[in-house]
Amino acid sequence: MTSESAASTRPPPNRAAGRIRALLIVAATLGALVLLVPQLATYHVRVIDTVLIYVLLGVGLNMVVGYAGLLDLGYVAFYAIGAYSYAILASGQFAIHLPFALILLIGGCLAGLAGVLLGIPVLRLRGDYLAMVTLGFGEIVRLLLNNQVWLTNGPQGISRIDEPFLLGVGLNTPKDFFWLLLPLVAIALTLAWRLEQSILGLGWAAIREDQDAARGIGIDTTVAKLLAFGLSATLGGFAGVIFAAFQRFVDPVSFSFWESLTIVLIIVIGGLGNLVGVVVGATVLIIVPELLRGYSEYRMLLYGCALVAMILLRPRGLIDRRYNPAWLMQVLGWR
Amino acid sequence: MTAFLLQQLINALTIGAIYALIALGYTMVYGVLRLINFAHSEMFMTGGHVAVFLLAIGASFSGPGWVLLVFAVFVATFVAIGFLGVGIEVAAYRPLRGGSRLAPMLSALGVAIILQNVVMLFVSRRPLPFPAFLPPVSFDLLGAVVTVKQVFILAVALLLMLGLTWFVNTTRFGIQIRAVSENARTAQLLGINVNRVISLIFFIGPGLGALAGMLYASYYGIVVFSMGFIVGLKAFIAAILGGIGSIPGAMLGGFALGMLETFGACLLPMLTNGVVGSEYRDIFAFSVLVIVLIFRPAGFLGENVTEEGMVYKRDF
Amino acid sequence: MTLRLQAVTKRFGALVAMDALTLEFRPGRVTSVIGPNGAGKSTLINLCAGSYRVTSGRILLDGLELQQAEKHVIARAGVARTYQNIRLFDGMTVLQNLDVFLYPEIVGQTFAEVFRPRLSRQIKLQRSARCMELLERFDLDRYAGQLAGDLSYGNQKLLEIARAIVLRPKVLMLDEPAAGLNHGETHQLMKKLRELIRPDLVMLVVEHDMNLVMALSDHIFVLHQGKLLFEGTPAEIQTNRAVQEAYLGSPGENDQIREAARRRENRVRIRADADITRHRSGAA
Repeated sequence: MTSESAASTRPPPNRAAGRIRALLIVAATLGALVLLVPQLATYHVRVIDTVLIYVLLGVGLNMVVGYAGLLDLGYVAFYAIGAYSYAILASGQFAIHLPFALILLIGGCLAGLAGVLLGIPVLRLRGDYLAMVTLGFGEIVRLLLNNQVWLTNGPQGISRIDEPFLLGVGLNTPKDFFWLLLPLVAIALTLAWRLEQSILGLGWAAIREDQDAARGIGIDTTVAKLLAFGLSATLGGFAGVIFAAFQRFVDPVSFSFWESLTIVLIIVIGGLGNLVGVVVGATVLIIVPELLRGYSEYRMLLYGCALVAMILLRPRGLIDRRYNPAWLMQVLGWR
Repeated sequence: MTAFLLQQLINALTIGAIYALIALGYTMVYGVLRLINFAHSEMFMTGGHVAVFLLAIGASFSGPGWVLLVFAVFVATFVAIGFLGVGIEVAAYRPLRGGSRLAPMLSALGVAIILQNVVMLFVSRRPLPFPAFLPPVSFDLLGAVVTVKQVFILAVALLLMLGLTWFVNTTRFGIQIRAVSENARTAQLLGINVNRVISLIFFIGPGLGALAGMLYASYYGIVVFSMGFIVGLKAFIAAILGGIGSIPGAMLGGFALGMLETFGACLLPMLTNGVVGSEYRDIFAFSVLVIVLIFRPAGFLGENVTEEGMVYKRDF
Repeated sequence: MTLRLQAVTKRFGALVAMDALTLEFRPGRVTSVIGPNGAGKSTLINLCAGSYRVTSGRILLDGLELQQAEKHVIARAGVARTYQNIRLFDGMTVLQNLDVFLYPEIVGQTFAEVFRPRLSRQIKLQRSARCMELLERFDLDRYAGQLAGDLSYGNQKLLEIARAIVLRPKVLMLDEPAAGLNHGETHQLMKKLRELIRPDLVMLVVEHDMNLVMALSDHIFVLHQGKLLFEGTPAEIQTNRAVQEAYLGSPGENDQIREAARRRENRVRIRADADITRHRSGAA
């Protein structure tokens, strides 16, 4: 963490120049993305969109696992709540057709509420018990989706979901979604970063290090953990809504335990708690299987081997904790 | 009515016995390493497959003498999967001992995925038939139909559980297991070879799971690469219900879950006039998990986490 | 500002760690709690801090009842403690370790911190200044950016104390602050602790190091097997027979030991008395 304390002896004059340089580089990169991506084939853009959705999911789960140190193995439940919110409120299922932006809000809130309600009884449990309960919760949600046919159309799923309209513009190609996802993901990353740097983030780090000592300091660990849980659930809900609008089809199969595991893999591979790692992890985990499309049968086997190999050989993930956004900005010139 | 309830009871006991055998593996490992061995469900699955394989070979040798063959296959399966369990512990869990508790859990998940996919890709994607080695006889018990298969499963399972109880309570190795489960560091100071005890646990636990797989397969007549996931998860819930870490707890929990599941699945439709159907069997089991962990994480016989015990430097 | 224990009893199963103890800790001075192992000293701090729940009795900070309160509520009420085995946040820097103590005070500002970067920078600078000032007092300012886990043992102990006082607590409980320190470091520690005395601060020190205790304390409680054996000034404690026997054994036993050592015997039989019959109540 950069020490901006008054005791720092680095001269301030280059600061403004350094900051402008860093911001320019970031803007240039984003600009390049914005110019290049539309040139790519639709299939490629679709992959990039998927990566962006998983980055969103990764940022969300990272808040709970990476920041607060709680293992959530049922994160997919919040993803599903968001997705099915859109599917139910914007399709022929009940002939309700609410606008996309509104459902984004509703889905996020519903998921967030579910997160808080789940968190209240569950967050006082010890780490591995918490993992089991969240796993159970995730499975319960999936089974409910499968069985409550009156609401969710059961295993058949809900198809012919409405095309989302944002500010009067219809989003029906992957390129359209790219324009939506890129700024959203950028905002999510920024907010998550600022949260990590805030006093709440510091409190989460303390909880992660030594929960009992944190309580002894006066940190209300229950509230702090609930906040982490609720915020991450809300983010998962947002991602779900966008996913449903993207696919225009949802079914319970997309929301199994393996999905939760994939998201956990993303942040483990990238490096727990590190936002740069989340981006790298999502990219690796989505793009590598795409490159190996011919071997799609072996994908899960490769996941398993990769997981065991990562844990045994490089448990800190691909990106060390040091190389976080602050480091990145410093490299670019930010002081 | 009696007949109906009795029938459900027998069904419950049968599936409960299988859950109990698998739950023992989970509980023994957790008791010592505080590790949820996610790969254990795949011991169950590979055990079933290995048994199919061995029975197929054996059948081409001997004609009559089924009993001896079945017994031999039992032993061979137990030993084979036992070694598999030990190997996994050494390769995927031992290097991670002493670190955070998250790492071994993820490693276990990875191993589970690997096993499942290896079987799927290199053995068979489709279900394989399990040869029936018991006469398809059934007899009437106060109106309920009891098959020889069910009696066999119950008998074998109870025998195995009795054997394990005797082993853990009487033999030297058994006492060492209990000592290490209680406090590994003290046990080590007392001269117990902790690594050897852990290997023993990883031999017996998966071995029992494998036998459960064989029994399960003989009951339903097939094995498939995906059979471990749901059954394993439920056996795990049974272990929690009984009190994870406690061997008698696992047995109790297995039968308890079998009862809850079977009676719940058949009573729920009756109670709710068909609104809640018996597909809810699985949801029921998971709900049990969530409720137990929230209200009584220690389960029936598990240790109550004391105040001083609550003070963990790292939660996981 | 007084910390009071009223007939506090703590049982761990059949073991009585604290037996109807009634004590009073006054501000503006250093009160030490000493006693042989198992006397209940750490239990005392743990009970006051909320790590343990009393079996019976009350703990009062002025009018506020603490015995049923949650740990973090007690901390927010102004009760700070250090740990016998250091519990710093090893993975965080020295500055962050101090900063996080400010959490109860400023957690409400999180929203502003996230959404208003300029304001957030000001807030952070203020906090840093406040923390750095405190670090300077303890000569730890040059380690501000280092990981707390990398500090030397002595510095870690100092950091623990610095953290405990950053929010100006009402009660400061130090659990064996000199444990593991050498003579020079203990002397340093004593000077720093003396500097902390304030008229509105209750200082409670649990210690084994008699030099530190005698030099630092204004008042001493001697605990033995969960009960108060004696209390008084350092001078009174040093001459009290009951205290000596509790710590050092009876004269008869000591003669035995001395004889055995002289004859280089390997084993000495000592009869230990389990209960105290020499408790002098009201002897202060």
